[in-house]
Amino acid sequence: MRPVARRATPTSGRLGPRPGEVIDRARPLRFTFDGRPYLAYEGDTIVSALLAAGESVFSRSFKYHRPRGVLSATFFDPNCTVQVGEEPNVRGAHRRVRNGDVVSAQNVWPSLRYDVKAANQAVGRFLSAGFYYKTFIKPEPLWPAYQQVLKRFAAGGVVGADDPHGYYDHRYAHVDVVVAGGGPAGIAAALGAAEAGAAVLLVEEEPHLGGHLRYGGPEALRLLGELRQELADAKGIEVLTDSVATGRYDGNWIAVHQRSVPGATERLVKVRAGALVVAAGLIERPYVFAGNDLPGVMLSTAAARLVNLYAVRPGTRAVVLSANAEGDAVAALLAAAGVEVAATLDARRAETVVAARGHGHLSSVETSQGRVVEADLLVTATGWTAPTSLLNMAGVRPTYDEAAARFVVGAEPSPGVFATGGLVGDASPEGLVAHGRAVGARAAAAAGCGKGAVLPELSPGPHPALFRSTTHGFVDYSEDVSSKDVFQAAAEGYDSPELAKRYTTATMGPSQGKLELVNFLGVLAEATGRSIGELGTTTWRPPYAPVSLGALAGRPHEPVRYSPIQPYHEAMGAKPLVAAQWIRPDHYGDPDAEVRRVREAVGLIDVTPLGKLLLVGKDTPALLNQLYVNKWSALRVGAVRYGVMCAEDGVVFDDGVCGRLGEDRYLMSTTSSGAGAVWEWVERWLQTAGRHLDVYVTPLTTAYASINVAGPASRTLLSRLVEGVDLAPEAFPYMAVREGSVAGVERCVLWRIGFTGELSYELHVPAGYGLFVWESLLDAGSDLGVGPFGIEAQRIMRLEKGHLIVGQDTDGLTQALGAGLDWLVKLDKADFVGKPELVWQANREDYDRLVALVPTDERTVPPEASQLLGIDGDIVGRITSSRHSPTLRHPICLARLAHHLATPGTVVRIHLPDGRDVPARVAETLAAYDSEGVKLRA
Amino acid sequence: MAEPAATFLAEAVHHQWTAFPELSNLCYVHGRPAGSPAATVTVPVRPERAELRVWEGIEMVKVGRAQVWRRTSGAAAPHRYSAASLVRHGLTHEPWPRVWRQVPLRPAYDAVIVGAGIHGLATAYHLAKDHGITKVAVVDRGYVGGGNSGRNTAIVRSNYLTPEGVRFYDRSVKLYEALSAELNFNVMFEQRGHLTLAHNDSSLRTMVWRAEVNKLVGVDSSVIGPEEIKRLVPYLDTSTETRYPILGALYHPPGGTIRHDAVNWGYARAADALGVEIHQGVEVLAISTTGDRVRGVVTSAGEIATPIVVNCTAGHASLLCDMVGVSTPVVTHPLQAAVTEPVKAFLSAVVVSGSLHVYVSQTDRGELVFGASTDPYASYSTRGSLEFTEELASHVLALMPGISKIRLLRQWAGLCDMTPDFSPIMGITPVEGFLLDVGWGTYGFKAGPASGEAMATLVATGKTPELIAAFDLARFAEGRLVGEKGAASVGH
Repeated sequence: MRPVARRATPTSGRLGPRPGEVIDRARPLRFTFDGRPYLAYEGDTIVSALLAAGESVFSRSFKYHRPRGVLSATFFDPNCTVQVGEEPNVRGAHRRVRNGDVVSAQNVWPSLRYDVKAANQAVGRFLSAGFYYKTFIKPEPLWPAYQQVLKRFAAGGVVGADDPHGYYDHRYAHVDVVVAGGGPAGIAAALGAAEAGAAVLLVEEEPHLGGHLRYGGPEALRLLGELRQELADAKGIEVLTDSVATGRYDGNWIAVHQRSVPGATERLVKVRAGALVVAAGLIERPYVFAGNDLPGVMLSTAAARLVNLYAVRPGTRAVVLSANAEGDAVAALLAAAGVEVAATLDARRAETVVAARGHGHLSSVETSQGRVVEADLLVTATGWTAPTSLLNMAGVRPTYDEAAARFVVGAEPSPGVFATGGLVGDASPEGLVAHGRAVGARAAAAAGCGKGAVLPELSPGPHPALFRSTTHGFVDYSEDVSSKDVFQAAAEGYDSPELAKRYTTATMGPSQGKLELVNFLGVLAEATGRSIGELGTTTWRPPYAPVSLGALAGRPHEPVRYSPIQPYHEAMGAKPLVAAQWIRPDHYGDPDAEVRRVREAVGLIDVTPLGKLLLVGKDTPALLNQLYVNKWSALRVGAVRYGVMCAEDGVVFDDGVCGRLGEDRYLMSTTSSGAGAVWEWVERWLQTAGRHLDVYVTPLTTAYASINVAGPASRTLLSRLVEGVDLAPEAFPYMAVREGSVAGVERCVLWRIGFTGELSYELHVPAGYGLFVWESLLDAGSDLGVGPFGIEAQRIMRLEKGHLIVGQDTDGLTQALGAGLDWLVKLDKADFVGKPELVWQANREDYDRLVALVPTDERTVPPEASQLLGIDGDIVGRITSSRHSPTLRHPICLARLAHHLATPGTVVRIHLPDGRDVPARVAETLAAYDSEGVKLRA
Repeated sequence: MAEPAATFLAEAVHHQWTAFPELSNLCYVHGRPAGSPAATVTVPVRPERAELRVWEGIEMVKVGRAQVWRRTSGAAAPHRYSAASLVRHGLTHEPWPRVWRQVPLRPAYDAVIVGAGIHGLATAYHLAKDHGITKVAVVDRGYVGGGNSGRNTAIVRSNYLTPEGVRFYDRSVKLYEALSAELNFNVMFEQRGHLTLAHNDSSLRTMVWRAEVNKLVGVDSSVIGPEEIKRLVPYLDTSTETRYPILGALYHPPGGTIRHDAVNWGYARAADALGVEIHQGVEVLAISTTGDRVRGVVTSAGEIATPIVVNCTAGHASLLCDMVGVSTPVVTHPLQAAVTEPVKAFLSAVVVSGSLHVYVSQTDRGELVFGASTDPYASYSTRGSLEFTEELASHVLALMPGISKIRLLRQWAGLCDMTPDFSPIMGITPVEGFLLDVGWGTYGFKAGPASGEAMATLVATGKTPELIAAFDLARFAEGRLVGEKGAASVGH
C-alpha cells in the first residue's frame, strides 16, 4: 500500500559509449511517461530510456499489483507492458521510442507509484490459485456485484470505440526458404541456402540482425561484422527486421508479422515456402525464489542487453547468480561497466539465492550460505528455454533433455522443416554458424536448390537443472502465479500440466509461457514427484507472438457489388437494400405506386444479381435431370422451364428458370443469393458423380445486366426497341427464350417469364450496355407510363401471385412437397438429387404445408415470423411472408402450417409480436392475384 | 524425491495403520498421488515419529516431510468451499483436499460413462445425486475437461429456434443459474446478455422468428433496434454507412458466459464426493456385447464389466458408436476459436453476427474470446488456420473498428460432431445398454447440465424423459428432424 519511493540516487543510468550500442547519441528524442517528460536517443527502447533516466518500475502486476521492473529486456518481458497513445499492451522493452510518444503505465490505480490495489499483497495468502472458484458462491444474488469487482482487476491497456484503424497491409511472398530468427545460426542458414541458389526470407524479431552476438564481447561483434558483410554481398536474401514468424501452417504456409514497415502501420506477410528453418535461439529462464519479481532482479541476458546495446548501467551494486559461462561473462561485463559486483554465486557449486528483499526495489540478497548482501541488482543465469513453438505447429514434439535441462529438437525434425542454433544444441558462435550454414544448404536442397551439405554435430551441453530455490517465488509474472500456487494445484489434484495450467493460469498470459513454461513444469514435477519428461508439456499454439487484429485483417476486403445500372438508381435516390454481396434498390420512394404502375402499365426492375450460368454440351439435359426435381429431356430449343433444386435431403435448395438457347446451349438462372452456391453445386456434381458428362459451365452473372420489363404494356414497349425477334404472342409465347438486339445492342437474351404475375420479359444485356438499354427503355416508353420498380414492389407482386422465395417461405427443413411444389416434382424420373427423401415424403402426410393466409381483420398486416397457434396455444406454424396488397387492398400472407390445419377455409390464430392474437383463413390457392395465369400468357 | 513420500506411504499401507485401511481412500501423499505404482515400495519407517493432525473432514499423518492425507467424514460430507474456508486455509496453511480421488479401476460398475467432459460428468453427478447410483466410472483417455468441454467459448443461452430446442436449453440455463451453489464451486456464470446482430432483412426475420418462439416458450428474448444496441455495446459501429449495417438484433438477456473449466471441475468434484469414480488417462478400446446387449468395456487399463455404457464423447462420437455397430449421421468438423491479450473491460454483452461468421465476448480477465462457424470440411484436426484469424479479424473490425490494436494471443480448434439438423442425439440405440449423448455440434457445453440430468434419468429408469424425447436417434430414420440450423450455425 505504501508508495514506491522515488530513489534519491537512481540505481541505473547511462554509460559512456559502448562498441555495440544501437543508440544514436546525436539524435535525442522526447517522450513522456505518466505525464513526466523524458529524453531518449534514437534506437532506445522505451524501457532503456527510462532506465537511463533512473526509473526502475514500469508496471504493476496483475493480481497483487506488485511493482515490476525489467526482467528480460525483450519483447517477451512480462513486466514492461505499457500504453503508448491509443495502443494498449505495447512491449516497452522492445518498442523503440518515437519522438513525442505519450507513454503510460497500465494496470495501476491511481498511479504507478502509489497503487491502492497493492493492498492485495497483504491478503495474498487468501488469494491462492483458483481462489475465485471457492468463494463468492453464496449468496447468489451478490455474485454479479463481486464479478464487477473482479473485472476491474483485468490487466491490460485501454482501447477506444473511435480509435483510428490505421493502414494495415498484406503481402504474399513465395520463397524457397524462410529462416525464422536472425542470430548467428539463422544468418548462416540464410547464407547457406542462398549459396545453393535459394530465394530466402530471413526474419528477425529485433530491429537488428545478430541475436546474442550483438550484446556479446569483442569477438562476437567481430564475427557479427563478418556475417553482416557476407549478407550484404549475398544474392537472393530478403531481410525483414522487427518482424516475427508468428505461425507455421500446413504446407509451410508461414505468417510473418512485420511490426514496422514504411508507409503502413503494420503488415502481414503470407509466405509459401519450400522449406522452413527455425533458428529462434534460446530464451533465458528466470529462477524461482522469494522476491524474484522485485525491480532490480533481472536475467543475465537482460543486463548484457542493457549495458552493451543501450549503454545503460542496470545497477550500482550487484549479486550475480550464475550456472553457466554466459552468466560468468555478464559478471565480468558488469564489473567492467563500473558496477560493483558484491557477490558471485556459482550455482554449479550449489550456491544459490534464497530470497531477494527490498521495498519497491531490490535492496539485499540472502544467499544459501546464509549471507545477506546489500545490492540493488541481482542477475540470474540459471538456464534456457527453447522456444520451439513454430516447430510444434509443424507437428514436431521436442524431447526433454534431462542433462541439458531443456527441451531439444533435431536439425531435421520433419520433412521441409529444419532447426538450427540453440534449439538443437550448444556450440561456440563459429560452431553455430557452421551448423546453420549446413542446415541452410539442406533446407535449400529440400526446396529444390543445390545438393545440400554434411551436417556438423550439434548437441546440447550439460547444464544444472535449476527451477526453484528453497523458497517460493513467481513462476508466471504476467499472471502473478507463484510456485506455491503450483504446489497447491498439484495437491488439489490438478496435477497434470494441462490441468495445473488451467487452474493456476500459469503460461496463459501475454508472454505465452516463453519465460514461464519450463519453470512451471519444473515446479509441477517437484510437487508431484515426477520428472518433466514424465509430465509431458502443454501445447504451443499459434501465434508465436501476439499479432494485432489490424494486421490480420489488412485492408478491408469486403467488396460491394453494384449493377451497371447503379448510377441511375443513385440519381433517382433509390433506397439501398443490402442483399448479401449486392446493394440493390429497395424502392424509389413509393413501392405501392410502383406496384400499380406494373399492374396497370409497365415497369422496369434491375435484376442483375440473378445468378446466370451458361451450360454447353450434349449432356446438359442429363445434368439438369439430375439436379432439378422436374424433367428436362424434352425441352425444345427456344423454350424455358421453371425448375427447383433440392439437396440430398430433399430440402429445397434453389429455384430458377433454365432456357435452351441452341442445340447444346442452355442458360440457367438461379436466385440472387444462390448464385455462388448453385455454381459450386453444379461443379461439384460435374466433378464427382457426373465426371462422364459432356457439360461445360461458365458463370455469366455479372457478364449480363438483367432487366425485367413487366406490365400489360411491356410488349408494346419492347416492340419499339427489339430487333430480330418476333414479339407476337404466338411467335414468342410465355416460357420461351429468344436472342436478338435491344436498342441496337446485339446478342441480348430475352426470356418471356414473370415473377410479378404480369406479361413480362427478362432481358439479359451485355453488362457494358446495361445502363444504356435501361435508359433507352425509359425513353422509349415515356408515353406508356414506364418507370422503375424496386425489390419491395416485386416482393409485393410475387406475394400477390403466390410465388415462393426459397429461404424465406422455405427453411432448412422444407422438403419440396412442403413448399407447394407437388406439381413440379417428378418422382417417376429414374433419379435426381433428393429423390429418395421425396419418395418417402410423398408417402407421408405429417409435413408442414405452405399456404396462403388472409387475416380476417383487413387493417392488420401481421409481421413476418409471427407464430401461428393451435387450440392449446401450441405453435403450429408461422408467417413467412406478409404485406398489404395495394392491388387487392387487404393483407396477404404466406405461411408454413401444420398439415392438419392446412385445408382451405380453416381459421387459424396469428400470434402477433405485440401479444395480440388475430384470426386468419387459409386461402384456396397460393395465388391471390390472377390465379389462372391469364395475364402472364397474354 | 526418493526419500520420504513414497516410502512413508508404503509403510502406512504395510503396517495397516487403522487410520488408513485401504489405498483408494488416501487422498494425497505429499509429493506423489495416492495409488501411484511407486507406493508399493517398502522401506522401514519408525511409526513413533508419526504425528497425527485432524481438521474437519480431513486428517493427516506426518513423518518428517512426508504427509498422508485422508478424508474422515466420507462421501456424505465433502469439504466445503467458502470465503471462510479461504481465510482458514490462508491462516493455517492447511492444504486443500483433492478435488477428486485417484483410485484403481474396479472390475465392474453399474454404469460406465465414456468422456470426462461436462456431459459425462454431469450425467454421473445426477446418477449419484438424483438416483443414488454411485457405482459409476467416468473414463476418459485424456484429462478432466480436456476435450471440447475445455475448448469451447463458454457461451450459455437458450434463444433457439424450435420449441423443443428452446425448452431443452432453457432447462440448462436454469440449472446453470443455480450451479455454483449446487456444486459448491463458483462457475462464474455471468448473464451478461446475448446479442445476435442482423445485417439484412432476412436475418432480421429469423431474429423475429426466434424471439417469437422464445417468448411463447417463456424465454426472455426480443428484437431490438440500433439505438438500443449501441447503448448495450457502445463499441459497435451502428452507423448506416458501413458495409454490413446493423439493422437490429435478437437480444437475449439471460444469455451469457461461464468459466468452462470450473463447470467441469465442479461436476467432477461433486460427483466424486458422491462416490463416482473418475479415471483419467483410460481409453476405451472396445465395447463387448452379447447379442444386442452391452456386457462390458475393454480399456487401456483393463476390462470392466457393465450393463450400461453412455457415450458422452465429442469429436469422436461416431468412432465409439462404430465399436458396437450403431450408425449415426454424425460428421465431425473442426471449429476454430481465438483469444486476445487482455484490455480493460469495454464489452459487457456477447455479440454474434451470423452474416459475418463471428462472435465475441470479453472475459473477466479482459481477453476477447472469438469464435466462428465450423470449418467447411470434415476433419479430426484441432490445429488452427491462418485464414481463420484473417477473416475473424476483418469481421470483428467491421463490427468494432476501434479495436484494431488489440493483439490476438492464441488460436485453437475443437471438434464438432455435426448432425443434419443441428440438434443433438440423446437416448437409446438398437444396442441395449448403449446410450447416446452425442452429436453436440456447436452447442454442447451450454446443454451439459440439462442433458446430464435427463441422461441420468434415462439410465436410472430406462425411460426417456419428455424433455429429450425429440432428440432420439430414431428421428433420422423416421423423418422427425429438429431444425436448429438457423439458431446454431454461428452463434454458439
